[in-house]
Amino acid sequence: MAKRRFAARRLTALAAVLAAGAITAACSGSGSTGSVSTSEPTGSYTLKVAYGSDYVFDTTGFTVKWWTQVADEWKKSHPGGTVQFIPIPGSYNDIVNKLSLLYRNPSTAPDVAEIPTGQIGLWGQANYLLPLNTYLKSTSWWSQFPSVIQSEGRFSGNVYAVDQGENDSALLYNEQMFRKAGLPVPWHPKSWADIITAAAQIKAKVPGVTPIWLNAGTGSGANGLLQGINNFIVGTSTPTIYDAKNNKFVVDSPGIREALSFYQQAYSKGLGADTSALFSPNAVTTPLTAFQSGKLAIAVGSNYYGGNWTKTISAPFWAQAPSTMGEAIIPTYSGTGTASTLGGWDFAIAAKSKVAKAAFDFINIAENEQNSIDAANWAGWVPPDKAYWTASLYTNFAAPYNAFFADITPSATLTPSNASYSVWVQGMGEATGAIAQNPKTTVSQAVGILKSYVTSQLGSSQVEVVP
Amino acid sequence: MSSQADTVALAGQAGLPARPTGKRADRQRFQWSSLALLGPSLILLAVLFVIPVIYAFYLGFTNLELVGPNAVNWHFTGTQNLQRLGSDPTFFLSLRLTLIFIVGSIIGVVVIGLALAVLLQNSVTWLRILVGGIVVVAWMMPAITAGMTWYASTTAAGTFGTLLGMPNSDFLHHEPMLIVTLANVWSQTGFAMLVLGAALRNIPHEVLEAADMEDASRWQRFRLITLPMLRPTIVTTVLLITLISLANFALIYVMTQGGPGNSTNILPLYSYQQAFEFNNLAYGAIIGNVMVLVCAIFGVIYVRASRVRT
Repeated sequence: MAKRRFAARRLTALAAVLAAGAITAACSGSGSTGSVSTSEPTGSYTLKVAYGSDYVFDTTGFTVKWWTQVADEWKKSHPGGTVQFIPIPGSYNDIVNKLSLLYRNPSTAPDVAEIPTGQIGLWGQANYLLPLNTYLKSTSWWSQFPSVIQSEGRFSGNVYAVDQGENDSALLYNEQMFRKAGLPVPWHPKSWADIITAAAQIKAKVPGVTPIWLNAGTGSGANGLLQGINNFIVGTSTPTIYDAKNNKFVVDSPGIREALSFYQQAYSKGLGADTSALFSPNAVTTPLTAFQSGKLAIAVGSNYYGGNWTKTISAPFWAQAPSTMGEAIIPTYSGTGTASTLGGWDFAIAAKSKVAKAAFDFINIAENEQNSIDAANWAGWVPPDKAYWTASLYTNFAAPYNAFFADITPSATLTPSNASYSVWVQGMGEATGAIAQNPKTTVSQAVGILKSYVTSQLGSSQVEVVP
Repeated sequence: MSSQADTVALAGQAGLPARPTGKRADRQRFQWSSLALLGPSLILLAVLFVIPVIYAFYLGFTNLELVGPNAVNWHFTGTQNLQRLGSDPTFFLSLRLTLIFIVGSIIGVVVIGLALAVLLQNSVTWLRILVGGIVVVAWMMPAITAGMTWYASTTAAGTFGTLLGMPNSDFLHHEPMLIVTLANVWSQTGFAMLVLGAALRNIPHEVLEAADMEDASRWQRFRLITLPMLRPTIVTTVLLITLISLANFALIYVMTQGGPGNSTNILPLYSYQQAFEFNNLAYGAIIGNVMVLVCAIFGVIYVRASRVRT
């Protein structure tokens, strides 16, 4: 009898624990409601501003300097307000994870946050972000954003975020090595075959250098694709990676095969970098030092290279860069246009912010000419407002690269903003990594790697093959 | 008079010792007053351990996402994640890699740790201090530092390649599972050496001297005396190395992030990848539940092994 009572007590205790867990779960699973402020707050209030403290800007010093200068300017017109910074250390994934956790609870969600372009759709659909359509009507800068930049924050008619700065891609090449190899300078490749031919000629005539840098593998995540193979996929006649209409990811298409075939040609001819460098987590920035040390001839690189070589940024400082490094667009597969990805960072306001008007004022100040160009120069971006592309403050900071990359921006293609994009990234990273590590990997095998991985993770109903 | 008193009286008459009455002093008794003293610990244990563990287990049976539509409005989905687990080839690959990593680590750590402990036991003092110090420093090194050290040593222009006359060799990305297992062995061996060294010193000298008098060879002494007497310590060491290895997320993450491809994607990394890179918190949680089961299975095996007498 006593044993049965004890057993009953144990069951009660277990039930209590489970109930507590269920209550906790229920509390965590429900979102609270709140009203959104559209007027100036009265009295004293705090504006929470979250940003990446290590990763987004080129140096931590510039990160602090820029956010402080925007906050100081904002405080002049908002005497009752206090800015509470939430700096988020770490790299891309750390920032995304921390913001995801902050957004889960309205009380911790930052009023203003610096978010990567690839997350806008996710967080907008999760009702974390405030639609900014009403506020944007009164700004002078929004209409100056090219349509492709405006569209990066727009989902189902709502603009959830506005751009802070953009990254796009092109070919950078060492002119001295080109001359040594008997290649034309300036170089204007008309096709992908021209790129392979130039790299092969470098290999033959300039020994001891890596002919071409093509990001491959999973080590660099989405960045590796943004500054790598996606530039080629978006330059084909079937550029779709994510079919938004059918909510499916493309795992096989003529475009994917053409891009992988380009990779296969480069790596099978021994033109690419070794796996130690390619599979490093810092792979995407490796060309900066490899170019400076004369170890690399061509790279599919990003707009921030030029700024990083300036004395101001010094990552690394290379005074001879403008006289050594040429730049050329990545031709489309057909050779009739410019191929480039587009991705950057944006400002967003929390859906439940109680100081939304003050938060938008902060963004409005951040988007003014001085602040926007400072951010572009110190973080290695193209400013979103095309009126600033010709401003000497921007073009002279890293001439001739800044003006060159700004011109590419309107024709660049955005990367998907979908919760499952990271799965496709992993699958494509495995496919390119297989080619880089084992150049005998055929295009069909690489496509098979992408297809089987994405299908096994997302299910066959979320993938499609484009004929 | 009670029947119990009658029994005692009868026993006394028969010349048998009287059975003691009342509560037995050799049995633990529960005192209600102890609840007041245990209460705070029980509450802390419940709040910080039991509830989170049950909650995490429960999350594995939901559709919770880090972001997206199910980040806020999530619910119980029954065995849906289990079914997905059953048809996920990456999970089975990850499970296989985890077992390879653990078994490889155990063999390497215990064999090298035991060899070092035995060799250093009879070595001169300065050598024992020097070698022991170096090995222990490797053990004390944070996993991130150990990972960086091995990453730098095993990629192109690293120490390994340079010493072997192949400076451009990329051992890490060509034999990734072997290299990360070696790195784990390198960083855990100091622990095994310390524990097994202490156990070696506790083996009674008389037993070894008796074996000497019986003309036992060194190998016979080691195999028939030292090893059996070390058995409980070895089992404990193996259990601890298993748990430490399974939790050694940082080492592999720093070295390969689970790659190239999925070739070092052991369960802790796959759980992280699903939860924080693919946003599937619930699926990441159920992989974590599998890790708990793997630990439990290894734990039961070791406990049973330690009970077997030679």
